[in-house]
Parts: sequence; structure tokens; C-alpha cells
Amino acid sequence: MGDLVDSMLDLMRRLPPMRVEENVASLAAMCPDYAEDLLGTVDQPLKVLTDRATGREYLACDYNRDGESYRSPWSNEYDPPFEDGTVPTAKLRKLEITANEAFDMYREMYYEGGVSSVFLWDLDDGGFAGVVLLKKVMNASSPTEPSGSWDSIHVFEVSERGRQAHYKLTSTIMLQMTNRAVTGRDAKEKEGDDATRAGEVALSGSMTRQEEKDYPVPEQMAHVANTGRMVEEMEIKMRNTLQEVYFGKTRDVVFDLRSVDDLEKARRQRELQKELVGFIKR
Amino acid sequence: MDPSQQIEAASKFLLQAPPGEINDVLNDVRNIVSDDESLQAGLLPALREYNLAQFTTADVPGHNHQSIISEAARISKPSTEGEETEESDRFWDPRSRTSFRFDHLSLETSEPEPVEPDEESEPFRAALESASLTYLAAHYHDGVTSVFPASGSTSRYYVQIVANKYNPSNYWSGRWRSEYTVDLEERTLKGRILVNVHYYEQGNVQLSTTHSIDLPLPPTITPSSAAASASKVLALVEAEEGKYQTSLNETYTEMSEKTFKGLRRALPMTRSKLDWDKVLGYKLGAELSSNRGMFGSS
Repeated sequence: MGDLVDSMLDLMRRLPPMRVEENVASLAAMCPDYAEDLLGTVDQPLKVLTDRATGREYLACDYNRDGESYRSPWSNEYDPPFEDGTVPTAKLRKLEITANEAFDMYREMYYEGGVSSVFLWDLDDGGFAGVVLLKKVMNASSPTEPSGSWDSIHVFEVSERGRQAHYKLTSTIMLQMTNRAVTGRDAKEKEGDDATRAGEVALSGSMTRQEEKDYPVPEQMAHVANTGRMVEEMEIKMRNTLQEVYFGKTRDVVFDLRSVDDLEKARRQRELQKELVGFIKR
Repeated sequence: MDPSQQIEAASKFLLQAPPGEINDVLNDVRNIVSDDESLQAGLLPALREYNLAQFTTADVPGHNHQSIISEAARISKPSTEGEETEESDRFWDPRSRTSFRFDHLSLETSEPEPVEPDEESEPFRAALESASLTYLAAHYHDGVTSVFPASGSTSRYYVQIVANKYNPSNYWSGRWRSEYTVDLEERTLKGRILVNVHYYEQGNVQLSTTHSIDLPLPPTITPSSAAASASKVLALVEAEEGKYQTSLNETYTEMSEKTFKGLRRALPMTRSKLDWDKVLGYKLGAELSSNRGMFGSS
């Protein structure tokens, strides 16, 4: 039944990113046997929760969920409280604490706001894996102000080979931006006519990239710097791609559909030019 | 989920299909709901709604042009009980004065029949059509336009335009739809422009825009001077759409300069990447001195 999951993923690749949560919920209800597979594969916008013990905000996703509870990276506690909730081993938790501190600094430098969280877990083969989450939301202060949100999900797997480690990183960035505009009878003076115009422009989507790298690991904490460099490189690369696709490619398609310039005039001009060239050559 | 709920959920997916991808979405849905027989009939209303709303284009039987499938193009309305029947899937193309049956799944047309247009509204409609075709050639690379009279009115017309570009091998598709209601009695021009773009190479990025326009008709537009008035109506459309495209460009710039940059910087204020060894050294030092007791207590 791999086919079925493939179809679900193909569908999610086509349907509007703005409605991912609603559509995933609907698919999960249609095929309850595959709900877990689906929730584990399709990235959804991160939820912001508040740690009850420290009052600090953290991010919730499938990776820090156990049952109906989410674990906070700050207090290591589950909310709602969950006695038997999975927690990392003491050694890994120590690394997780450092990683959270380091990525919190990274967040401040690049996002100047927002929330970050890092979660680590042990793998059966002796290595470990983790996820670095970053989210920033820009709320509109009025209906015509632009709004947007950025969600980064970086999942990595680490396998140690002596004093070297192999890192496999899968990164997804979800980016959403909306602009609303109304010009109308109230703004008559500006427009110089008595027309009313209203509209909304929404750009939304997600993008996923993968990368593998080897780094030296002189001591345990080097994992934080190594994943840090990898995530930073990846985000810089992906931010450039997002910029190209969101503001370049989608715009080009619009201008491919409709031309601002008169195509007939351009056609006539080209013909005239051809005639002229022929005339001069003679 | 019972079968009717499955159909309902599947229908919602179909209605969200990006430009040119309705068949891909339909195939996915068929795999997910494996009951093909109930699906076939159950999904027809959603396919019909999609085709009408998306201004799907149809080859007019016996002619070399396409016309738009929309609510305005429907020749027979649903019967009084509100039931959709086979008969409700007849549409017409005023340009060739032909009606035809339209298959919402295969998008094929059949059973052409001649249609006699309303004598009173036809001259102005034909003038609008001719001006629309000129406008279409001037500003659309691959567009289709149809002009319909409003049923039961001799002074209201719908000018519809659709342009599609599908490029699955480069993972993108786009659709521009615009519709204008010209009301010679109310003396208004009301329009809406809808643009959808899907870019899906290693991701899923969509542009979705809506824009509405409402303006009074200038007094020089009169039913009696059909050709000149129709050209003026389309000149208004041309101006509005040109203005809209320019404003869209400005919106792109604003989103890129304000929202995108505001969400995440390209580089930190320091203009250089993080020194991770320093970050770690600093953090570790701070932790060792202040949080010594925290470790190993779990």
C-alpha cells in the first residue's frame, strides 16, 4: 500500500499550502490506518506553546509529541503532564540543552524575534537524531498591513565513525505572505477617479532540501557546532531559492499569461523592422 | 468515514486543484478512495463546479476556436427542483451561435446544435465580443474570451477571459481569469481578476490573488453606438488590468523588501555568519559556571 501514501503525498504537493492542516486532517480521517505515516511525513506549520515551568515559548511538532502531550526543550517536561513520556538519555539531554542555547542565539541573530526549539532522540543503531525548529510570525496590525510567517524544520541524523561523524540533514521551510489592498471611494483623491478596487495577494508554500556531510568530532559538544554550521548554510541557500521562486518564478508566470505591453504593436514593429532591414540590404 | 463523507472530502480536494492539475488530483483521489464506481458519479458535481468556476475552455464542435465553460455559458439552467441533469450540461458559444454538450471529465464537446441569439441584445454583445478578441490578441499570449448576454436582460453582458500556461516538465502552471459585468442600465462596470500560479519543483509554492473592480460607465458609452461603446468598455478593461499588473509588481517588491526581510535576515547585523565555536564556548562557559547542578539530575 505504498501506493496509497505516495498518492497522499502527491496530493499534498499540489493542494494549496495555506490549507495544509485542514487537508492533512481530512486525509487522516479518510484513511485512519495511514494517519500516523501521514503526520510523520507531511510538514505542518509549527505550533507555539508556553512552557509552564519556565514561562518560555517553545515549538510543537510531531517530533516532540508523545500521545497528546508535547515536551518542552526548556524544562524537559510534557504538557499536558505525561509520566511515561519519552525523554532523551542524560547524556543526550545535556547535548540538547546546549543545542537549544546555541540555536536560540542563532535565532536572535537571523530572525530578531520568533521562537526556536531543538529536540534530540537516540537511534537504535547507537547514533542519534534531532530536529531544529525555528518560527517567526509577522502579524498585520491593520487589515491592509502585510502579514507573514516562516517555519523551518531541520531534521538530522548523526552516525559517529571514530572521531568523525556523518550528518544527514533534511530541511523544510514553510513561508507564507499576504498583502491586502483597498483603494476606493475613500481614497478618491489619490486615484483621481471614482472606482473602487480591493484585492489580496497571497504567496505561500514549502520547500524541502537534503544534504549530507562529514565533520570531525573532537568532543561531544562539537555536534552542536557541526549541526549549527550545516543548518546555517542550508538556510542561507534555501532563503536564496525561496526568494527566486516566490518573487521571481511566480511573477514570471503571471507576466507570461498577460503582457503589460501591447503584443500586436510589438508584432507590427518587428515586421516593420524586418521590412526595413530587407530594404536597406537591397 | 462512510462513502458519502469520503465523496465529500474528495470533492473538496478536487475544488482546490491548481491550474492544469485536475487530472493529477483526480488520480490521487481515485487511489485514496478505491471505490471507483461510487466515486465516478459522486465526483461529477465537484468536477462541474470546478469547470464552471475555473473558466475551463472547450473546443466548439465544427469550429476552429474555443469558448469558455461558465455559469453564464449554460444554456439550460438546473431544473426547478434544483436537480442537476444531463441536460444541465449544455453550454453555448455565442460567437458561433452553437450549443453543445460538455463532458466534465473528458472535457469533450458533442451534439452541436444551432442557437438563435436574442435579437435585441445581440448587436451590442457582438460588438463587445469583437472588441474583446482584439484586446485578447494585444495582451494575452494564449487566451480565450467569450462574451455572454445575461439571461433575462437586454442590457447586461458578461465579458470573460481566461489564459492558461501549463509546463509540467518544468513543474509550473498558471491561470489568469477575469470577468466583467457590463450593465448599460445600471451604468456600471464590475470586474474581478483572479490569478493562480503553482510552482512545484522540490516543493509546493502557490500564488493566489483576487482583485475586484467597480466603476461607473462614462456617459459616452451608449447602447445605440455599439461598436464605439464596446471599444471604450474594453479600453477601460485594458486600463484596469494594466494598472492591476503594475500594482502586482509593487506588491511583489513590498513583500520582498518588507515581509520577507522582516521574517529572516540574509545575514546577521554583523554581516558575517555565526562563529559556532565561539557561540559554544561562550554558552558552555556560562553554563558551567551557573548551571553546574542541572546536569545528570534527570
